[in-house]
Amino acid sequence: MRRCLDHLYQISGYIAAFFMVMIGLTIVGQICGRFVGIAIDSTETAGFSMAAMTFFGLAYTFRQGEHIRVTLFLRFASGRIKKLLDLFAVGFCVIIISYLTYWAFDFVYFSYKFDEISQGLLAIPFWIPRLAMALGSLIFLIALSDEFFSVLKGGIPSYEENASPVYGEIEEPKDIRGR
Amino acid sequence: MEAGTLSILLFLTLLGLLASGIWVAPALLAVGFIGIDFFTDAPVGSLLASTVWDASWNWALTALPLFVWMGEILFRTRLSSDMFNGLAPWLVRLPGGLLHVNIIGCGVMAAVAGSSAVTCATVGRMSIPELRKRGYDEMLSIGTLAGSGTLGLLIPPSIMLIVYGVLAQQSISRLFIAGVFPGILIIGIFMSYVAIRALLDPKLAPVEESSSNFLEKLKASRHLIPVVGLIFSVIGSIYGGYATPTEAATVGVIGALILAWLSKSLSWKSFLESLMGGVKTSCMITFILVGAAFLSTAMGFTGAPKILAGYVDELNLTPSMLIVILTILYIFLGCFLDGVSMMVLTAAVVLPMVENAGINLLWFGVFTVIVVEMAQITPPVGFNLFVLQSMTGRDIMSVTRASMPFFFLMLLGILIITLVPEIVLWPVEIMINRN
Repeated sequence: MRRCLDHLYQISGYIAAFFMVMIGLTIVGQICGRFVGIAIDSTETAGFSMAAMTFFGLAYTFRQGEHIRVTLFLRFASGRIKKLLDLFAVGFCVIIISYLTYWAFDFVYFSYKFDEISQGLLAIPFWIPRLAMALGSLIFLIALSDEFFSVLKGGIPSYEENASPVYGEIEEPKDIRGR
Repeated sequence: MEAGTLSILLFLTLLGLLASGIWVAPALLAVGFIGIDFFTDAPVGSLLASTVWDASWNWALTALPLFVWMGEILFRTRLSSDMFNGLAPWLVRLPGGLLHVNIIGCGVMAAVAGSSAVTCATVGRMSIPELRKRGYDEMLSIGTLAGSGTLGLLIPPSIMLIVYGVLAQQSISRLFIAGVFPGILIIGIFMSYVAIRALLDPKLAPVEESSSNFLEKLKASRHLIPVVGLIFSVIGSIYGGYATPTEAATVGVIGALILAWLSKSLSWKSFLESLMGGVKTSCMITFILVGAAFLSTAMGFTGAPKILAGYVDELNLTPSMLIVILTILYIFLGCFLDGVSMMVLTAAVVLPMVENAGINLLWFGVFTVIVVEMAQITPPVGFNLFVLQSMTGRDIMSVTRASMPFFFLMLLGILIITLVPEIVLWPVEIMINRN
C-alpha cells in the first residue's frame, strides 16, 4: 500500500514533467512552423500542457515540501501541539481539495455532455484537458488524506521529511572541496 | 454587508488561516469560497472549477516553467563554481576590490536562478571563505550578499515579473524590459556604496594587486561568458520583438542544455533533477496564482475592490502619498510573507487603487518587485538572512545589522525611480516604437 501510493505520487510528478517538456516542444514546433510557413498555433497546446503540469505536479510538490506556507508560528510549537496544528492544516486542505475535486469532475462531465470544443485550430474537446485538472486534484486529495492518517499515527509529515533547506540544494563543486 | 467591513473580515480570515500554517493556495481558495458562498447568490462550485481552469491554462504563464527550468539547468553547470574566479580579475582594481564580485556575481546568478535565497547561497559559498581569507570586512561582505542576492527578483528573466504580469494583465515582454535599468541602477547604487565605504575606511578592504592581462582575464571567465551571452540573447530577442517571452524561454532552455552538454555537466541524472526542480517551483507558483484568481473573482463578485478604491479616491491622496503608504504596507507584510504570496494577496485590492490613482502599471510592477526584494532582508522572515546566518555562523542580529544599509539603499532606488520614472518606462517606449 505504502509503496503503491509513493509510486502514484512519483508517477504523477513524472507526468507533470512530461507536460513541462511538452510546453517547450509545442513552442519549438511553432517556431519551426514559422520558418517553413506553416501556421502552428501553440497557444492552446502549450496552455493545456501548462494546466496539466500544474495539476499533476500538485501531489509531488506537496510531498517534497515545496508548497509555500507561513511557518513563523509553527516553529514555536512542538510535541502534541505541533501534531494538532499539522493535522488541522492538512485536514483543512483535505476538505478544500475534495470540494475542488468534486467540482472539477462535475466540470469535466458537463463539458463532455455539452460537447464543448476549444476555439483554436485543433478544436480539442474541452473535457480532455480538463480531465487533467480533475485527475491531478484527485491525486493531490489522495496525497493529503494519506498525509493526514500518517501524521495521526505519529509519523513525520512528508513535506518536512523530504524538504531540502535552500542552501542544501547546492552541491559543493568537486574542484574546490580540497581547499 | 458593507464592502469595507466585508473585505476586512475576509482579510482577517485569510491571515488567520495563513498563520495557522495552512498552505497559501488552499487558504486563498477557502477565503474565495467564503466570499462568494456567504455574501452572494452565485453558484460557488461551478464558479470555482471554471475560474481555476481558466487561470491554469493562461498563455502568459507558459513562460514561467520554461524560465524556471532554464535556471535549473544552468545552475547545475560549472557556473556557480566558476563565478568567483571568473569575475575577480575584472573587478579587483575597483575601490572595495573583491566585494564587487559579490554584487556582480549575484547579479549574474540572479538572472539565472531567479530565487534570491539560492542566489545568495551559491555566490556566498564561494566568496565568503575567500573574502575572509584575504581580510575583507565580514559585515560588508555579508551585507553585499544579502542585498545583491535579492536582485534575482528583478533582473530579467524574472519569475516575479511574470507573476505580476499575470496578476495585473500586463505584457510580460514590456515588464522584462522595464526591469532592466532599475536592476542596473540598484547594482550601481550598491557598488558605489561599497566603493565609498572602502575609500573612506581603507581597513574594510585590502588593496589588491592585479597581475593578469586581458587574455588571462578572458580565460578566467571563459565559462561565464557563454551564460551571460545566453541571457543577453534571451532578453535581446524579447526586446527586438523577435520572440514572445515563451519563445525566448524555449530558446533559453535549449541554449542552456547545449551549454551544459558542452561543459560536460549534463548527465541523465542532472537533466532529471533540473526537470523535477522546475516542476516543483512552477507548480507551487501556479497553484498560488490559481488560488489568487479565484479569490479575486470572489472579491469582484462582492464588489469590494471598486468600493475600496473609491474610498482611497475620496482621501485625495497624491500618487506619491499612495506609493509611500504602499511601501510601508509591503515592508510590513514582508516581515511575515514571502514575495509571491505578498503580491498575490494584495493584487485584487491594490491594483484597482493604483490604476485609479493614475499610476502606470508597468512602473508599479517594478516598484512592487523592489519592495518584495527589500522584504527578503527584513526580519523575522527574511530568507536571505537565514541563509547567510547558517553560512557564516553569525547570529541573526549581526546578519540583520550588516544587511540594513542595503535595505536603505534599495529604498533610495525606489526614491530614484519614483522621481525619475523614465528609468523604468523609457526603454519600454523605445521598444514599442521600434516594433
